[in-house]
Amino acid sequence: MLSERKELNEYPPLAEPRTVRLRFCKRGALQYISHLDLQRTFARILARAELPLWYTQGFNPHPKIVFGLPLPVGSESVCELVDIRIERDMPCGEILERLHAATTPELDFTECYVPERKFADIASAEYKIHIDAAVPSDEIACAIKTVLTTSPLKMMKRSKSGEKEVDIIPFIKSADAVPDGTGYTLNVLLSAGSTDNLNPEYVVSALRQRLLLLRSGEEYSVMRLRVCLENGEEFR
Amino acid sequence: MFSCSQLKSVSKPGRYAGGEFGQIIKDKEKVAARFAFCFPDSYEIGMSNLGMRILYGVLNQADDVWCERVFSPWKDMEERMRADGVPLCAHESGDPVRDFDFLGFTLQYEMCYTNVLNVLDLAGMPLYAAERDDTYPIVIGGGPCAYNPEPIADFFDLFNIGEGEEMLPEIVRLYIKMKEKGATKAEFLIEAARTIPGVYVPSLYDVTYNSDGTVKAYTPKYEGVPAKVTKRIVKDLDKMFFPEAVVMPYIECVQDRIMLEVFRGCIRGCRFCQAGMIYRPVREKSPETLLRQAKCLYENTGYEEISLTSLSISDYTRLHELTDGLIEWTNEKKVNLSLPSLRVDSFSRELMDKVASVRASSITFAPEAGTQRLRDVINKNVTEEDLMRSAGIAFGSGKEQVKLYFMNGLPTETYEDLDGIAALAKATVEQFYATPNHGKRPPQVTISVSCFVPKPFTPFQWEAQDTVETLEEKNRYIGTRVTDRKIRYTHHDARVSHIEAVLALGDRRLAPALVKAHEEGFEFDAWDEYFSYEKWMSVFAAAGIDTAFYANRRRDKDEVLPWDIIDCGVTKSFLWREREKAYGETTTPSCREKCSGCGANCLGGKDICCPNAKN
Ligand code: SF4
Repeated sequence: MLSERKELNEYPPLAEPRTVRLRFCKRGALQYISHLDLQRTFARILARAELPLWYTQGFNPHPKIVFGLPLPVGSESVCELVDIRIERDMPCGEILERLHAATTPELDFTECYVPERKFADIASAEYKIHIDAAVPSDEIACAIKTVLTTSPLKMMKRSKSGEKEVDIIPFIKSADAVPDGTGYTLNVLLSAGSTDNLNPEYVVSALRQRLLLLRSGEEYSVMRLRVCLENGEEFR
Repeated sequence: MFSCSQLKSVSKPGRYAGGEFGQIIKDKEKVAARFAFCFPDSYEIGMSNLGMRILYGVLNQADDVWCERVFSPWKDMEERMRADGVPLCAHESGDPVRDFDFLGFTLQYEMCYTNVLNVLDLAGMPLYAAERDDTYPIVIGGGPCAYNPEPIADFFDLFNIGEGEEMLPEIVRLYIKMKEKGATKAEFLIEAARTIPGVYVPSLYDVTYNSDGTVKAYTPKYEGVPAKVTKRIVKDLDKMFFPEAVVMPYIECVQDRIMLEVFRGCIRGCRFCQAGMIYRPVREKSPETLLRQAKCLYENTGYEEISLTSLSISDYTRLHELTDGLIEWTNEKKVNLSLPSLRVDSFSRELMDKVASVRASSITFAPEAGTQRLRDVINKNVTEEDLMRSAGIAFGSGKEQVKLYFMNGLPTETYEDLDGIAALAKATVEQFYATPNHGKRPPQVTISVSCFVPKPFTPFQWEAQDTVETLEEKNRYIGTRVTDRKIRYTHHDARVSHIEAVLALGDRRLAPALVKAHEEGFEFDAWDEYFSYEKWMSVFAAAGIDTAFYANRRRDKDEVLPWDIIDCGVTKSFLWREREKAYGETTTPSCREKCSGCGANCLGGKDICCPNAKN
């Protein structure tokens, strides 16, 4: 199959390196892979895909790979973004096809385009959280909403300057919860980006502490659905 | 299969999550045999093993066989598994190992034996083979430790002696054929021992002992079971199965790169080195084959580094052709080359410029002994001049760090030889200043000293290891001789080496002690933080085992050794001759200079340097 591909030098060189943005999912087993491991994995995926990567100049040349918003370990996602730079004019469809062959369905690429916005514009991220419960009820679903919208909700939060107690409500932009057959499905919009960022694990911990959920070894799962701009519109 | 909460509760969940690119998934309903291939250590160590990569590919070549991987869960996961009552499962399917047809272990070092027992236990299987009925998987062992499998023989149904590329599929094929006919495990084992060369079934032999505790004899219980099991080799490496794809770990592993096996065996013949003897005769791959395989592996993995792995890589007859061919495309793809094993007598500026490992700031040489006399005894044909020349090249090209590997406790060693270690390090420092255009920073020479462990199938297999006290005294002594701040000195733990010697040289009577060690919770003994000498010694004492009998006793020429049941090609008489020459301080030329008649030519092989080889 590799031999059917066109050679890289059959694609015309670009005057300036071009940044292309890739959207990919990170699901199943991949949720346990840390951001650092993902970065190493990425370099290898790109090499397997044989893309016309642009390399940094200088002593230790390396491809430029910039991730939009690191995903915490233990969360799945359908909306991860990464920018790469290419030096030849390979169409986006071809890039996607090559990437597709170089990875597994749990880490698959769904979009490739030339971006208009910078990752710095990311302001929030929407997550779906599912919490298992033996007898889900409307009352508890309401209580979940109340906990996640009533200030202060003090949690020990890690940051660069160490651990300290903070009210996490300002970081929860919206929260909804409904009971379903196996527990509760939550939909939360959390601050995301380099200035304010809330890991969805804090939301789970808060519910564990305040509402005694997940106390008998029940499972929960987290899925990042979209990343958004300040105005709530989807970032792309 | 682990649950989310189990995975979220342990360190490095990526060890257990699976889902790697390149893993092989089959429909379990459609296969005739399921093989669980275990590396009894952590995922990061196991995934770094080339043998496992090869055999995983070999077994999965057959559509009706599914080979999956198994590793030792780390302590935190093990606790969780025991608390939740979760049995050990295979990596790909998440199905319990206990339901497989085979459980194979690759035995790379003796200190993994307690992990082997723990894996059996976590899988829910009785430790002793005799206690496992026909519903349990057949337990197979292979790898370098299988050359003296006796200390763990009672736990295994069958051992693979030698290279498994051809033997392992034959074993599985025979099993499928006999299972269809409704044969029992016992019938299968006898048939395998009788018909597949290289198969050793320990339960088919009676072992008797002399009153002094030494082995008297191994007697096959049935007709047709070989009196000696001869090692299998792959004759033509160019035609050998080669895994074109690799399972790509997401988490960082010890060997996280392409491992390109250039040849098997070693033309040298260092007298302490087991690998140098058991992998004879030397068989090379052609550069054409290697270049094709390297390119293919790169396309399928995207690894940024290719490591040429063989025992003494600079002995490859066509090394320059190979490195030149690789560099033609690796530079453009920004792929680094690295050579793990360099001999000082063939080290050159040209080679150094080509390879990344040497481009790094530190460089490693292994003179092994401090004086020429002792280097002659061990047949390490390296001179101080070679070392100084190589160090000079390294220093002249801007490096300031050199690492030197030595061994202490070698046969005939005196304190003068230990002085020699410090002296050689000092001379290396002086070489730095004597080298024109050396680097601006002061040099750093590290000497790393390990303790000699006598190994089966070496000329030193009859030797007594120094006692722990003597080894520790020697370690201390070397420390007192190193006074220069530019020399850093590290040494291995003599107590680990003692236990290693017992397990390497032991016989079947060690089994109860190993079971006891397992019951006391021993595992990960290869990891400093988990090894406890005191606990090991108390376990041996409780089992009535005198460790000195195994480790510190010099054996007679005519003693029946526990591993005499195995024929590794190299004859016992050759090994004894080499031992005599060691004591005569006489060296033996390499196989390329002159054949010394070791006996390995009888195994045959293509393009080997042995005269009169069968093909
Ligand atoms: S038979 Fe001769 S050449 Fe061949 S491995 Fe033995 S000593 Fe070396």
